[in-house]
Amino acid sequence: MMFAQLLPPLLRGAEITAQITLASTLLGALFAFAAGIGKLSRHRALRWPAVGYIEVFRGTSLLVQLFWLFFALPIIGISLSPLSAGILGLSLNIGAYGAEVVRGALQATARGQREAARALNFTPRQTLWRILLPQALPEMMPPFGNLAVQNLKDSALVSLITLADLTYQAQNLRNITLQTVPILTATLLLYFAMALVLTAAMRWLERRVRYAAGHER
Amino acid sequence: MTTPWKRLALLFATLMIALPATAASPQQLKSRGYIRIAIANEIPYGYMNLQGKAVGIAPDMARQVLARMGIHNIRWVVLPFGALIPALKAERVDMVAAGQAILPARCQQVAFSEPNSSYGEGLLVKKGNPKNIHGYRDFAQRPDLQMGIVSGADQIDYAHAMGIPDRQIVILGANMDAVSALIAGRIDAYAATRLSTARLADKLSQVTLAQPFRDPVIDGKPARSWGGFTFRKDDTALLAAFNRQLKAVQQTPFYATTLKHYGLPQKAIDAAMAKTTAQLCAGR
Amino acid sequence: MLFGYHWNLTSDWAFALSILPMLLKGLVVTVEATVLGYLLALTLGLLLALLRMAPSRLVAWPTAFIIEFLRDTPLLVQLYFLYFVLPLYGINLPAFLTGTLALGLQYSAYTSEVYRAGIKAVPKGQWEAALALDLTPLRTYRDIIVPQAIPRILPALGNYLVSIIKDTPILSAVTVLEMLDVAKMVGDRTFRYMVPLTMVGVLFLLLTLLTATALRRLERRLPQRGIPLR
Repeated sequence: MMFAQLLPPLLRGAEITAQITLASTLLGALFAFAAGIGKLSRHRALRWPAVGYIEVFRGTSLLVQLFWLFFALPIIGISLSPLSAGILGLSLNIGAYGAEVVRGALQATARGQREAARALNFTPRQTLWRILLPQALPEMMPPFGNLAVQNLKDSALVSLITLADLTYQAQNLRNITLQTVPILTATLLLYFAMALVLTAAMRWLERRVRYAAGHER
Repeated sequence: MTTPWKRLALLFATLMIALPATAASPQQLKSRGYIRIAIANEIPYGYMNLQGKAVGIAPDMARQVLARMGIHNIRWVVLPFGALIPALKAERVDMVAAGQAILPARCQQVAFSEPNSSYGEGLLVKKGNPKNIHGYRDFAQRPDLQMGIVSGADQIDYAHAMGIPDRQIVILGANMDAVSALIAGRIDAYAATRLSTARLADKLSQVTLAQPFRDPVIDGKPARSWGGFTFRKDDTALLAAFNRQLKAVQQTPFYATTLKHYGLPQKAIDAAMAKTTAQLCAGR
Repeated sequence: MLFGYHWNLTSDWAFALSILPMLLKGLVVTVEATVLGYLLALTLGLLLALLRMAPSRLVAWPTAFIIEFLRDTPLLVQLYFLYFVLPLYGINLPAFLTGTLALGLQYSAYTSEVYRAGIKAVPKGQWEAALALDLTPLRTYRDIIVPQAIPRILPALGNYLVSIIKDTPILSAVTVLEMLDVAKMVGDRTFRYMVPLTMVGVLFLLLTLLTATALRRLERRLPQRGIPLR
């Protein structure tokens, strides 16, 4: 079979991979901010769940988490579709890593700023939203870029819970046509290309954030 | 809104909605509007063809039977073979159409329809049968041979019964992995049903059936299985209705035509009717 | 039955207890794959780092591309590639060795960057001083640069050990019977996934926490200013 015939199914898979990566990165960012800010909270009721979430998801394997969401969770009556389980698993995992980035950046900017904010009569919430986050956000962007690429690579694991992403399509196609070398080579190149595009996009976003935060003029 | 964003919104929407988890009666299925059926991507029992349509002995029959029950909208779900029964029990799907063998251990977990097919065993080997393999006994006698079996498939019981140790067995994640594992030399033979192996041998020139083949003999009888459709134990009304229409379809020429189309010989079609599910579940 | 052990389905706790020996057998494979893959990553990574810093662009640029490619493509697909393609060229490694090779390759790309950053962080004056003292390149690296780079390199390398542990379950995709694959096999045979998968999660948590704690202790003992190689 010619390369031209192998490519369309792979591109269909690549589209799913792109969608899953995008959705789980965005949702993961949400988890990252919630848990990263939560970990710095003075309230135990916020801090402890955040710490627990971060430790459990950073301490266990993503594939185990995906299998657990896919195979084990339905037994207690929560049946997520493979797509939901895949996106949720990826975003919970990447969110836990992102949370440490958020926490680190916030702590780094907090020194000295907090006293100033208190002197100016800012409430803790105002301090967070108006002073700390705008300064910390640009610092978070480079590690976020790395995490986004990590997430793209991790998304290959959803093929093991039957989602028809790029890796799944490659495996299926390989089993039908037995054209192992061209299919797997094309698959690796497609992932590489997507990673380059994603890296470029994150760099662009980083510049926008820096600009908006007033770091560059 | 542009299309990518619409898709993204849709993704989030699906994320928030867990699939409905309720027992299914024929009435409930009709009011819900669709039935979810699992297949295991195994040629020819049930698989997705290149156009993305579910075909095979079990899906073709299920479509016909369900149409007679007034259910026309089917959502096909591809799962690893080993996950079929857990997915059914977890209410992830409403039935399984994979030609699963009716075995006492499985009957304890799920309810089977009446038999729909019957099949013996086979081994798939590399073209030319370089290792000169003719049955399970070769594996018991030659410790250098590796046998591939799909996770959750009953061939592992035959292998154990024939005295093949676990270190000579490679558990494959999916049926579809078998051929590439064989060609890559990861396994020396793929153990599956006669029909499955014969179909793969027909389609792909790099592999062939181990011939002549000596059937594994279990408890003094050559291994033979009867395949059926699988349901949850609580869904008795659905099972009863399905069985009624299954019997009716099996009386029509459609049944034999379909089974023959997928390579089942007349002898196997006759044998399919020789046992009842009650007998098979009792281990008789 | 698996590895000669039988499961007990009378209750969840009895089930958990009866499958623990099977999972521990899988755990041994997990640890073996981790250690072998890590050692490979450490050596290959050093080689890649040195090639990457080679004076000749003909060497440095292709190496940079290889590192980038290894870093930017999924471990699972690299694993499939090695598992299914190598035998076509007559290289028949068992599944376990193919798996550790894949782990080692992917992580060598990460460790090479760690080495490079560590060596680059040594102040320029040290290189110039070595040059002024007319030291050979070997002595410059062995006695001046590497001892100062080690304290910067080791903590980052330690983090990748924890990452490798968490990536070993991917090897189950090519029939390596590590912990997750054992749990899945038990699930496929008993139709119960909750207990084995949860146990695997807990065992991984224990393994990574223990490793991380041990690494942190080790780090605290490291002299901050450098480690003489002789």
